[in-house]
Amino acid sequence: MSLAEQQERLLRALLAGEDAPEFDQRLLATQAAALRGKRGRVVAKLAPDLAQLLGDRFRELFAGYADGNPRRTGESARQDAEAFRAWLIAEGHLDRPRWWRRRHI
Amino acid sequence: MNRLGIGIGWRPEIDLTVERLPGVDFVEVLAENLHRGELPESLRVLRERGVPVIAHAVSLSLGGAEPLDMSRVAHLASVAETMGSPLVSEHVAFVRGGGLEAGHLLPVPRTREALDVLSAHVRQAQAELPVPLALENIAALVQWPDAEYTEGQFLAELVERTGCGLLVDVANLYAGTQNLGVDLEEFLTSLPLEHLAYVHVAGGEVRDGVYHDTHTHAVGEAVFETLAALRAHCDPPGVMLERDDDYPTDAELAGELARIRQIVTGR
Repeated sequence: MSLAEQQERLLRALLAGEDAPEFDQRLLATQAAALRGKRGRVVAKLAPDLAQLLGDRFRELFAGYADGNPRRTGESARQDAEAFRAWLIAEGHLDRPRWWRRRHI
Repeated sequence: MNRLGIGIGWRPEIDLTVERLPGVDFVEVLAENLHRGELPESLRVLRERGVPVIAHAVSLSLGGAEPLDMSRVAHLASVAETMGSPLVSEHVAFVRGGGLEAGHLLPVPRTREALDVLSAHVRQAQAELPVPLALENIAALVQWPDAEYTEGQFLAELVERTGCGLLVDVANLYAGTQNLGVDLEEFLTSLPLEHLAYVHVAGGEVRDGVYHDTHTHAVGEAVFETLAALRAHCDPPGVMLERDDDYPTDAELAGELARIRQIVTGR
């Protein structure tokens, strides 16, 4: 496996939950959780209203979003926060904002 | 290497604190958090006092297999020029690949192939940077199988090939000893410490038996002991405290800086 393939494989394992049995699975899970935690903290900082609205549910819901939506190169942290907001609405965890409802009635 | 003294990571949230703290000989700023040509008021004040400002980057992905993003190198160079930085720093790490962004520093495999790629990227960056580049050991949680070098040997070979400086993070080193079985003395004796540019010190916590380098906790005794172990091998040109969130009182930060100074200078 080339270096590029090795690195992509580790990224897929950490960010998208794909199998990579060559790594210590406990450490892999710890690293994945640390990355998700950091990503969530950045999003919470950029969207404090979401953090406040979701309270204790933030971590769990963010984990659900992050698993299916690994961050793409070129996507800013702000875009990540907005994508999380859209995901929350699409999944029914958050009411549509009032301006959105009004425009689509 | 330039004498830097004792320093602290400058963050916008603690800008006034950093200005007020006694015994801050130098500061470090995160290059990605500043815009080109921008000089925040607090950094202008520090610059006027003659406090050196090191530009520190986290997103170059020097150890990544993909071609180096030269616009990121240009940004770091520009921040270094604005700040009049005596040197800049980055990590021995990769942060992206195959269209995915890790959002944090990941370890590179310690193989000949990875060392070739890393060294080539470092030389490419050095050619565009106005000042010397120092590279830092990271706090990895995951470990690649089939390493061909110890971490110390890998860093030593990188210095040999590129002439880069070393930024030793003693909290990351401590994390390695706890989580990945890094041998502290082997690490310290493998490194060409005459190339040591400066040192990072930070706090962390143990969760489920794993040491996490959080930068949001007080510096623990074990990290101070790791600094003392490094001090037994060399007299570091600079040592600085990193705190990234959950900021404590000014007195607590001052206490940690005093403790660092005591370990490094004996006073």
